[in-house]
Amino acid sequence: MANYDPSFAREVFQNVDFGEEIKMCMQCGVCAASCPLSTEMDYPPRQVFTLIRAGKREEVLNCNSIMLCTSCYTCKVRCPRKIPVVDVMHGLAHYALKQGFVPRRQPAVFGREFWAQVYKLGRIDEKDLPRRYFFSEGLVAGIKGTLDFMDVGLRMLLHKRMKLLPERKIKGIQSLRKMLDKAERMGKGGAGA
Amino acid sequence: MDKTTGVYICTGCGIGDALELDPLKELVSDEYGISICKDHPFLCGKEGVELIKGDVEGEGVNTIVIAACSGRVNYDVFDFGPDKIVERVNLREQVAWCQPPNEEDTQMLAEDYLRMGCAKANDTEPPVPFQAEEEYSKDILVVGGGIAGMTAALDTAKAGYRAVLVEKEAGLGGFLAKMKKRITMPYKELTDTGADALIQAVEEHPNIQVYTSSTVEKISGGPGLFSVEIKTENGSASERVGAVIQATGWVPYDASKLEHLGYGKFKNVLTNVEMEQMAAAGKIKRPSDGKDAKSVLFVQCAGSRDPEHLPYCSSVCCLVSLKQATYLKEQDPEAVSYILYKDMRTLGQAEDFYRKAQNDGNIFIRGSVMQVGESGDKLFVEAEDELLGEKVRLEELDLVVLATGLVPASKPEVTPMIKAPADAEDADEDGMIEVLPDSGFFANSALNLEYRQGPELPTLKYGFPDSHFICFPYETRRTGIYSAGCIRRPMETAKALDDAAGAAMKAIQCAEATAKGIAVHPRAGDMSFPEFNMQRCTQCKRCTEECPFGAINEDEKANPLPNPTRCRRCGVCMGACPERIISFKNYSVGMIGNMLKAIHVPEEDEEKPRIVAFVCENDAYPALDMAGIKRMNWSPYVRFIPVRCLGSINLVWVADSLSRGIDGLLFMGCRHGDDYQCHFIKGSELANTRLSKVSETLDRLALESERVKFVEVGITDYYKIPEIISEFMETIDEVGPNPYKGW
Ligand code: SF4
Ligand code: SF4
Ligand code: SF4
Ligand code: SF4
Repeated sequence: MANYDPSFAREVFQNVDFGEEIKMCMQCGVCAASCPLSTEMDYPPRQVFTLIRAGKREEVLNCNSIMLCTSCYTCKVRCPRKIPVVDVMHGLAHYALKQGFVPRRQPAVFGREFWAQVYKLGRIDEKDLPRRYFFSEGLVAGIKGTLDFMDVGLRMLLHKRMKLLPERKIKGIQSLRKMLDKAERMGKGGAGA
Repeated sequence: MDKTTGVYICTGCGIGDALELDPLKELVSDEYGISICKDHPFLCGKEGVELIKGDVEGEGVNTIVIAACSGRVNYDVFDFGPDKIVERVNLREQVAWCQPPNEEDTQMLAEDYLRMGCAKANDTEPPVPFQAEEEYSKDILVVGGGIAGMTAALDTAKAGYRAVLVEKEAGLGGFLAKMKKRITMPYKELTDTGADALIQAVEEHPNIQVYTSSTVEKISGGPGLFSVEIKTENGSASERVGAVIQATGWVPYDASKLEHLGYGKFKNVLTNVEMEQMAAAGKIKRPSDGKDAKSVLFVQCAGSRDPEHLPYCSSVCCLVSLKQATYLKEQDPEAVSYILYKDMRTLGQAEDFYRKAQNDGNIFIRGSVMQVGESGDKLFVEAEDELLGEKVRLEELDLVVLATGLVPASKPEVTPMIKAPADAEDADEDGMIEVLPDSGFFANSALNLEYRQGPELPTLKYGFPDSHFICFPYETRRTGIYSAGCIRRPMETAKALDDAAGAAMKAIQCAEATAKGIAVHPRAGDMSFPEFNMQRCTQCKRCTEECPFGAINEDEKANPLPNPTRCRRCGVCMGACPERIISFKNYSVGMIGNMLKAIHVPEEDEEKPRIVAFVCENDAYPALDMAGIKRMNWSPYVRFIPVRCLGSINLVWVADSLSRGIDGLLFMGCRHGDDYQCHFIKGSELANTRLSKVSETLDRLALESERVKFVEVGITDYYKIPEIISEFMETIDEVGPNPYKGW
């Protein structure tokens, strides 16, 4: 039998970006029904909020749900209580990483690499990002991942969606970095923080 | 009245294209000896109406038969004053629009309707409104001085009528005065109760007479003529009033029945009423040791929505708990409230307050209590958390508040018993039987009516006075007596205000209409009323027992004593009376009998069966008209006769029809039972019961019982009409023609 413990809810309200918004959740389940990834998630968004309310810190910060959110925004648009569900999910993901939880390695790694590359180049290198991501799991996994995506890569080359040469920094990368730095300072936390 | 009759046939709206005019005009003069019979292509137009008015003035026409559209339309156009009789023959919706034009059967249908209209006009007398000998009162009695009662009295007085307010407690205010705050429009924050100001306004109003520490000992008479005897603190008083509002409110559900939730077992488990009183008195504390409460759990639906206790939703306890959680937050921002709910039911705009309570950080858990217990000096609650899908335990609780529900003050704790009738099956050893809620002998004492059918308002099964929730919310089963506030249904204060205003307006309307001698509801404006030809009465008591509104009292010898101002003009008594001695000026057993006789019944070999359908005017007849407007089609062999209520059908009509060779009879009326739609509440049910006894008559005539059928038709069921009729026609086809044809 679980003991109710309001302290985790308090922690979320205080430390997680948009965390306080979930107070308003009335558990209608519209977000769960709208989320394209809810079948892949440990808990659909609605239930993540139930778990927070009940004080289940481990379950929440360890769950894959907060990492799987693809920012499709459907939940945020549909929530009758106007809760920015997407932002809460990202807020929780950041917070989980910050607290040393690695809810789901891949999305976390992908997110980190994505961020690092945007910060470095101001854009994504379509060859470099997957490579770093695939090989983060080791050599064998890296080769397998690369082979699996071979035909996608070839077609992207064919359609000029990917260059053979490395991508260069965008113009004004310094200004972009300033913006990103500021955004990070404004938030309650972040993956890189 | 000496009658000069004129018949006016409209040939517009497709009527003229579907029918041959000459035969219609001939039958008017040949069969009914009426010499004035005219047609017009646009009878409801200025010229058409002038044509009729010309005859009224020039020829002295005072009985006008209009063969045109349905009587449900253009009644204002064809109104020639109260001293003229107007009879409408529906050749449009019921003939031209639902039958193929220029067919023999269509023509025969129109001819029959015209005959029936002439026969009815011949038997109709202009009604003379009832006028009592005593003077009418337009004062309004309000019983109960809570928010609904006080508001009703105040609204009555503001509208210029005198109100008499009787309250059993020493002071006005009811539960409102016991509250700390209330939640009302716009549902954003707590609001002051406003009790003091309301009490003051009532007490100071020159047009309100307040009796506190008083009860109503007796109400006799009827609307407009009620005599009220009031027992006051140190004596008695009497008042004469025109109408009554019962606003006796509610009592909390008896929490001692909720021991499974810890009530009575643990000191720190209380009801929401106790919580409110504690909050109003000052601080929210633990009764066990007087320390401030820091952690409170509210158990919603404590007893409500539970078949073992109150099967209904009490509708206010969700808001009450949100209110009390807000008190706690105001007392101590660090304190925690848990709200354990089945569903949060904060209706309408009240949802805003739910949002506020969420925003305040109260914790909402959907689920049900498994156990309430004590550990150390704190309480704990174990519950099934439905959304978590787990059993959970909430500890360190200072208080558990049971959100108990509302019981109408009318509901007796123990169902009263009466002497069972001889044939009752479930009587106990002493021959006693439980009173049914819909009897006037069920409810707790509040009005003490001197009515043969019992001293109180008949109620629905949970003890709320019977009213039609959707159509006529304030009406009760007693004319001129209205219910308002939580006696009517559980409601929050904002709704009670509306309710009180509504009831006050209805009461005033009743007092005014009654003084004019016209019906209030649902036949508003009707001037007719039942008259009893007492010489032939056999004291059978059917009318006094069956009147759904308790309008007829009885003397010691069981003679009926009608009270016309209590009457709703349904005609149920007329349908009940085996001696056929009850009639209205414009509606009687003999009149419908003559309409039935006016129908031409073809010989058997013509293979044209004849069906008579008695149709409830309130719902089924409009449905028929709607079907006509939609140009639906059905058998031309059916003759529809509108009746005030199916309950007004006297079985003699069935016998008359069948013995004349009518092949089948349909009763088309409102749904009956728990979710009845009958405008006269019991009418269609009574008709159905009487009909089940009709088989005796049929046996005597050696006829098949399938020839008589009851169908429920709601106002929205128009699309079912063709099917209902064709099904019945098939049945009649199977049983074959009535052997009495041509006798
Ligand atoms: S849609 Fe909004 S209110 Fe509904 S469950 Fe999801 S977050 Fe809660
Ligand atoms: S108002 Fe709320 S607590 Fe009261 S019975 Fe209805 S659902 Fe239950
Ligand atoms: S049965 Fe109907 S018509 Fe007859 S007295 Fe009662 S209310 Fe009036
Ligand atoms: S039903 Fe007719 S006969 Fe019977 S008591 Fe009433 S008036 Fe008399």
